[in-house]
Amino acid sequence: MNTTFSCDNLHPLEIAVLGVFGAHPAGAALTTDQLAEATKLESSQLSMAIEWLLAKQLLAVTSETVTSVVSLTVVGKTYVERSFPLDRVLSAAREASSTGKRLTIADLQTKEGLEPSDVSKAVGRLKKEGALLVVQGGCLESTGRPSPSVEAMRALLRDLHEAPRPLESFSEVQQALIHDYAVKRGSAKEPFRIEDRVTRFYRLSPAGVAAVNALAGQAKTEEVAQLSPDLLKDGSWRTKRFRKYTISLRPPRIAAGKKHPYREFLDAVKLKLVSMGFQEMRGSLVETEFWNMDALFMPQFHPARDIHDVYFVKEPARASAVAEPFFSRVAATHEHGGTTGSTGWGYRFDPERAKRLVLRSQGTAVSARTLALSPSVPGKYFSIARCFRYDQVDATHATDFFQVEGIVLGEDINFRTLLGLLNLFAREVAQAKEVKFVPAYFPFTEPSVELHVRHPRLGWMELGGAGLFRPEVTQPLGVTVPVIAWGLGLDRMAMVALGVHDIRELFTDNLDLIRTTRGAF
Amino acid sequence: MPTISIFKSDLESLLGSPGAPRTVSIDELQEWLTLVKGEMKGYQADTGELRVELQDSNRPDLWCCEGIARQIRIKFGGTAKPHPFLSKQPGRPPQLLVAPGLDRVRPYVAACAATGYWVTEQGLAQLIQTQEKLADIFGHKRKTVSIGIYRLQKIRFPVTYELANPDDARFTPLGMETPMTLSEILMVHPKGLEYGSILAGQSRLPLLRDAEHRPLSFPPIINSREIGEVLVGDDELFVEVTGTDAAMVVLTLNIFAANLADRGAVIQPIAVRYPYETPFGKRVVTPRDIGRPRAIQIETIERALGQELGATVVKEALEAYGYHVSTGNKSVTVKLPPYRQDLMHAMDVVEDVAMSLGYGAFSPEMPSQFTVGGLSRIEQLSDRARELMVGLGFQEIISNILGSPDHYRDAMRLEGTEWGTMVEVRNAMSSSFSCLRQWMIPSLLRVEAASARSFYPHRLFEAGEVAIVDSAHEVGSRTETVLGAVIAHAAAHFSEIHSCLDACLYYLGKTYGLEPIPHPSFLSGRVGTIVVSGTPIGLIGEIHPEVLERWQIAMPVVAFEVNLSRLEQVV
Repeated sequence: MNTTFSCDNLHPLEIAVLGVFGAHPAGAALTTDQLAEATKLESSQLSMAIEWLLAKQLLAVTSETVTSVVSLTVVGKTYVERSFPLDRVLSAAREASSTGKRLTIADLQTKEGLEPSDVSKAVGRLKKEGALLVVQGGCLESTGRPSPSVEAMRALLRDLHEAPRPLESFSEVQQALIHDYAVKRGSAKEPFRIEDRVTRFYRLSPAGVAAVNALAGQAKTEEVAQLSPDLLKDGSWRTKRFRKYTISLRPPRIAAGKKHPYREFLDAVKLKLVSMGFQEMRGSLVETEFWNMDALFMPQFHPARDIHDVYFVKEPARASAVAEPFFSRVAATHEHGGTTGSTGWGYRFDPERAKRLVLRSQGTAVSARTLALSPSVPGKYFSIARCFRYDQVDATHATDFFQVEGIVLGEDINFRTLLGLLNLFAREVAQAKEVKFVPAYFPFTEPSVELHVRHPRLGWMELGGAGLFRPEVTQPLGVTVPVIAWGLGLDRMAMVALGVHDIRELFTDNLDLIRTTRGAF
Repeated sequence: MPTISIFKSDLESLLGSPGAPRTVSIDELQEWLTLVKGEMKGYQADTGELRVELQDSNRPDLWCCEGIARQIRIKFGGTAKPHPFLSKQPGRPPQLLVAPGLDRVRPYVAACAATGYWVTEQGLAQLIQTQEKLADIFGHKRKTVSIGIYRLQKIRFPVTYELANPDDARFTPLGMETPMTLSEILMVHPKGLEYGSILAGQSRLPLLRDAEHRPLSFPPIINSREIGEVLVGDDELFVEVTGTDAAMVVLTLNIFAANLADRGAVIQPIAVRYPYETPFGKRVVTPRDIGRPRAIQIETIERALGQELGATVVKEALEAYGYHVSTGNKSVTVKLPPYRQDLMHAMDVVEDVAMSLGYGAFSPEMPSQFTVGGLSRIEQLSDRARELMVGLGFQEIISNILGSPDHYRDAMRLEGTEWGTMVEVRNAMSSSFSCLRQWMIPSLLRVEAASARSFYPHRLFEAGEVAIVDSAHEVGSRTETVLGAVIAHAAAHFSEIHSCLDACLYYLGKTYGLEPIPHPSFLSGRVGTIVVSGTPIGLIGEIHPEVLERWQIAMPVVAFEVNLSRLEQVV
């Protein structure tokens, strides 16, 4: 055992016990009583310290002795105060003899209030010792001779009143008397109790000797718990010892300041997109149907524009106006294609319907607005837009959610560069090397493609949808170059990264969950 | 879009020729479904039932087993078979006469007869499913298009499409035992209750009758049970489509004609005579070829696809996708098959070329032009504020924006105050999701209220969007980014949150002052407006105990909210 280590880890209670051994000759065996007297420790503290030292193998038990110890019972303690039956019987007999009164056994019971068993035991002993006579008529008479038992009993009660004593410390006569008047089976009301007490003797182990020596060496330096500014200021830390801590214990909890794991995930996506050359776009939570749908060439009779798919704003229900020339151009494109080379949808465009206000239902609305604001060519844009869908809320449908989407404009944009961009997304956003391009349908793109990727942890999954904006979308908004429109579906990746199975938990109100979620991106 | 149910054996017999089905594996099928933008949603090996979702809302011809099989079959055959029913038939076709006045109710009708195809169980199931999906999704719940199918041998021509008095005309509808008048059908029959609103306000209602005045149906509600209940084993059918859009009505009939022809029926056209003008004239023989030839430059296709193809490849690709194609000098002239009507722009043809060749035929190429990436100014400011709040020991929260007026207004004691106006939703599903948040602190109290058992102190913040009602704005509200923060613990105090605000604004480089105001959400005398350069940009204070009670929060809460959009604009 490493002595230094054990010394440094000693508790003050342990040091106190070891100190007692240091003050005795080497090899001394000490009892608990001796240690208690020397250390002045409470018995519980002392036994704790002894247990620890035994466990650390600094102390060893050399021997155990069993001693019979005599103590007074509750009855014995009353005898100290009110004298004992033997004495009271003899005194009563002497008093009767001196006054000439008759004294019967019954008188002893009634006048002196003694138990019949005590009376008969006392009378028997006194008669045997010749201190008492039983004369005719059952009367008791004193002989005038002394009773050795009474004297001895008096001395015993006096002695034991101080403290219990080992049975061995009494004379043979006394021991016989003690046995006669000790609590036994069948005679519970006796003044003495004899018990066996185990006494252990402790001795220092070799490691204990080393620890005591080491402690003696350290005796002059004071141990402190905490380094303080005062200790540093006057340099007194040099003469102090710092108690070592048990550093394996769990620390107290702390409420860390930190980002929300879902936000962190979105921040990582944002960083990726910026690093790929995308500029962020922002939009409005409330949009006109015009920018949310009409500008995207979704006909006003499109099923997804139903009252059951979009949230409509109560007040005001309509925008005051929609900016020209986009309004007229988009209307013409819907009706007959306008100047886009399209046939259009061939229906009467309702300008009032276009002005209706909705909660943005798709991030593409933000892209449509950007197209109308003379975007850069070449240009790449993205937004992480909060969108709202009229869906029953469940584990896979939230009322509001983020859509990550954007556009790429350029003379070099075509179907193949669209696929190239999706390859880049697969690699950068999902760390996927394998991709599949599947034909898809979106009202505002042609051709349209779905991007399926083999995610390193999730396997094959749909990562996003994309396409080339229809000329019916771009031309009315003043854009003449081809434009890629793309969107990424990241909720599943986010849910896996955050370890949640319910999309609503991404917006949870459970602070414990938020505090403990690490996220793995 | 629609998810349909088809049977593998039915598909296999349609993929082959009559009597010689072409067997396919599920893997092959999954591959081929990309040709129709279809996704397999399920397959039951024991029954052979497949669930397929069709994505393209402009291709209703693909929403059935026949259409899916046809597109795949054409790809393997290289070209589409001609449709004999479109060419002029010998003799005069049977007539369907339209009565005056229907132009104001449900103007258009198209019809054909189909003979020689014995209706099988799976064929009947497809017929009914196609009828339902087309009427429901393509026909906007029967409003623009609805379809009826009848037993031809019970019908005497000419059939009339007329307007009837709701209380006079009567017949036994499908699903009923006894004759009912049209008004009774609207009031009692399940279909009448479901679709009756289409005819709301009409004093006379559409009715199809044969030459012997027997009703065929009450479009778009219900067929007669006697004539309009097709059974397995029937081999003579009459199909009609009514609706409000002439082209959609004809297209729908064309799809049914093509489907029945693919199953081996001979299609007999019907001549529809109108007393009023229609886009196709007063006499319209249906099925009818409504496609128009269209010339498209090869260069347009090549530029859009980013690949040189040449006229021959383009022609072959489009023919293998069902088009009729002739090549010119530098262009192709294309015409869609009769069951399609989705060619609006040259780009629609471009996609079909790519689909026919397979997306795998195009090698991806990186866009090469350089662009600079970056975040918007408000996002940059928001990100800096978030970093600071994290450094100040706050946990970030992220909340829904769509919530309830109870939380955003009432629990905050803001009923009837200037702070209590919000963007509200007209068609809310529940009041829990019926308005947009106009400020952030309720979103944080939501977490506080739910987290009394999470160890204290709680220091929470969220940076995010709110919608602030503003009648001067184009859409009636402004979307702004705000930062909200709350501290909750037994001794939470104004000066504690004030220190945090002070540090945050210091590092954002803004000098501010606090001006006492009355605000119902906060304890009076412990609330102030945060003012930067004379502009109020936020609030700070101790949350009013009544607010805490309404949220059932049993811990003092102090809070601030800074409008970052406004902060970004002040100098």
